[in-house]
Amino acid sequence: MMRVVIAEDAALLREGLTRLLEERGHEVCAAVSDGDALLAAVAEHKPDVAVVDIRMPPTHTDEGLRAALRLRQDHRDTGVLVFSQYIETRYAARLLAGNAAGVGYLLKDRVADVADFVAALTRVADGGTALDPEVVSQLFRASRHADGLATLTRRERDVLALMAEGRSNAGISAALVISGGAVEKHVASIFGKLGLPPSEGDNRRVLAVLRYLGG
Amino acid sequence: MSGTAPGDFASPRGPAPGSQAPGGGVPLRLAERAVGAPFSLRARREVLYCLVSVPLGLAGCVVIAWILAPSLAVAGSVVGTVVGLLGIVLVLSIARRLGGLYRRVAAWLLDEQIAAPQPFRRPAGSIIVRLDARLRDAAAWRAIGYTLLRLPLAFGQYLALAFWACGLADLSYPLWWPLFRNPSPGAGLSPVSAATPPPFGSFVHATSWGGSLLVAIFGAVLLLIAPWLTRGVVTADRWLARSLLGPGTLSQRVRDLEQARARLVDDSVALLRQVERDLHDGAQVRLAAMAMNLGMAKEKLGADGQPPDVQRARELVDAAHLGAKEALVELRELVRGIHPPVLEVGLAEALATLAAGSAIPVRVTADLPQRPTPAIETIAYFCAAELLANATKHSGANQIDISAEIIDSERTSVLRLGVCDDGLGGADPARGSGLAGLERRVGSVDGRLSVSSPPGGPTQITVELPMKA
Repeated sequence: MMRVVIAEDAALLREGLTRLLEERGHEVCAAVSDGDALLAAVAEHKPDVAVVDIRMPPTHTDEGLRAALRLRQDHRDTGVLVFSQYIETRYAARLLAGNAAGVGYLLKDRVADVADFVAALTRVADGGTALDPEVVSQLFRASRHADGLATLTRRERDVLALMAEGRSNAGISAALVISGGAVEKHVASIFGKLGLPPSEGDNRRVLAVLRYLGG
Repeated sequence: MSGTAPGDFASPRGPAPGSQAPGGGVPLRLAERAVGAPFSLRARREVLYCLVSVPLGLAGCVVIAWILAPSLAVAGSVVGTVVGLLGIVLVLSIARRLGGLYRRVAAWLLDEQIAAPQPFRRPAGSIIVRLDARLRDAAAWRAIGYTLLRLPLAFGQYLALAFWACGLADLSYPLWWPLFRNPSPGAGLSPVSAATPPPFGSFVHATSWGGSLLVAIFGAVLLLIAPWLTRGVVTADRWLARSLLGPGTLSQRVRDLEQARARLVDDSVALLRQVERDLHDGAQVRLAAMAMNLGMAKEKLGADGQPPDVQRARELVDAAHLGAKEALVELRELVRGIHPPVLEVGLAEALATLAAGSAIPVRVTADLPQRPTPAIETIAYFCAAELLANATKHSGANQIDISAEIIDSERTSVLRLGVCDDGLGGADPARGSGLAGLERRVGSVDGRLSVSSPPGGPTQITVELPMKA
């Protein structure tokens, strides 16, 4: 069970999310509609994870992102899932900023696939990473390492993308319907081809992959 | 990064004459300026301008008068109307070109930057409509006026040049006098006249070497007058060129703005229709289908008790689920096309995001200490997006540079956006409708778009926008 704080200014979505999470047995400690209320609610409830909309009152620009960055600084034990109508790669870069632990950035669309969404939220609550496939595909497209990426097989690219999203080996094997051993082999091959140092732990791995793609 | 913005090559300007006069009394400084004037850089430039200008002005004047006069004469008669009107249209389009030539000469030699008037826009419609627009082209008529006024100007310039030439000639008298005028004593020689600018009869004569010194002094006086005469004539020319070759009078400006506004209204109506169509054909259809699927699923599940057809209901809910997700994607694209949300944060951030999504590597340098108004930021963003898309599609470039900076001048600040690629070049606003559309959009807020794209590249496109619309 996760303890969750939700910050979302659209009432329909706020209540929908609350219901969705409660039906799955999680506890929604607070559901608020702006950045200040979010900071207050997190300080009060110390939840496992906060779901934060980027555009909220009063300016409807990026106060959600700014609140999320504050949370990342002040409440390291609370995971932050930024939840937005659109994806800006730069926002992702600012959120990660050298630390991929307990952070997520997903399109609101993803809530349509309830199981995937809750899995991503759980990952973030547990100190993992959840990046939207859209962010990852933008990173692939804009990457300076097109040559390096071209050496990968199709399957390896899929695995790399899932790693960048922040999935564990188990998550990757479930998503691609392949065995855990096959995933490990692919991962080793990718790290070899791209010349990345083998890294311990999922968070380190995400950072290494993202740094490679973004560099 | 891309240091190739045209404005980076600011032309070095010579100091204004007399601007560095050392200390001393006011009369002393004035005297220094008067004596120094003939040797100043400005005087040299103005003389050069007159030298170029006299033949150019006369030629332009002759060409225009030569076609215009008979055309006007003929156009009055019943038979000659067509020929006469064609002649006038020809003169008008020649005058526009001549105006451009004169502007360039003034910019080159006098450093007099005169903005070009709005280019002529050929309206759609019958030949009568087009002819009417041509005949109402005020900028061209003003150019004709300027070209004809060049005739008296050319006379003034000629006079100024004559002062220089005669002054120099007179100054040389004492040098060659002993060589040629060395008569045997007692022989009577007719007096030699000093060179005098044409409309004045010569009134200084010399019969001896001593007299030739007097001529030389006369020449020096001419040379002291010459720069001020030149400056007077050139100043008159500058004033005429500014008022006749520039963007025009207030009424002309009002007409241009009316046209720009009409285009803007058309564009926004077209945009709204496009949005309406996208919504109607896209998200609306998907939502309708979704509602239908859910309605059918509800039926299959029945009002209460055991559902009659669970399998079918599942399929229908699946379809509705898929439709909802597709509608979301479509709406997101649409929203981004109307107004990219990241623009709220700032142009720099929006450009960086734009660059991040590009298939070709893009470097962005943005130096924007102040924020332009939202309308300007939006135009700049869409320009960058369009130019980036163009470069990606057509140029075959390996690297694109986007720069955004604020250029402060004395009177006003402008936002300058540069998009530069190392591709094939050959971009031409006259051919590609995309660039022309951008030009229109930029022009609607009095901005400017300039293209440098020689065949073989590189392509540098610069958009200058005011800080507020």
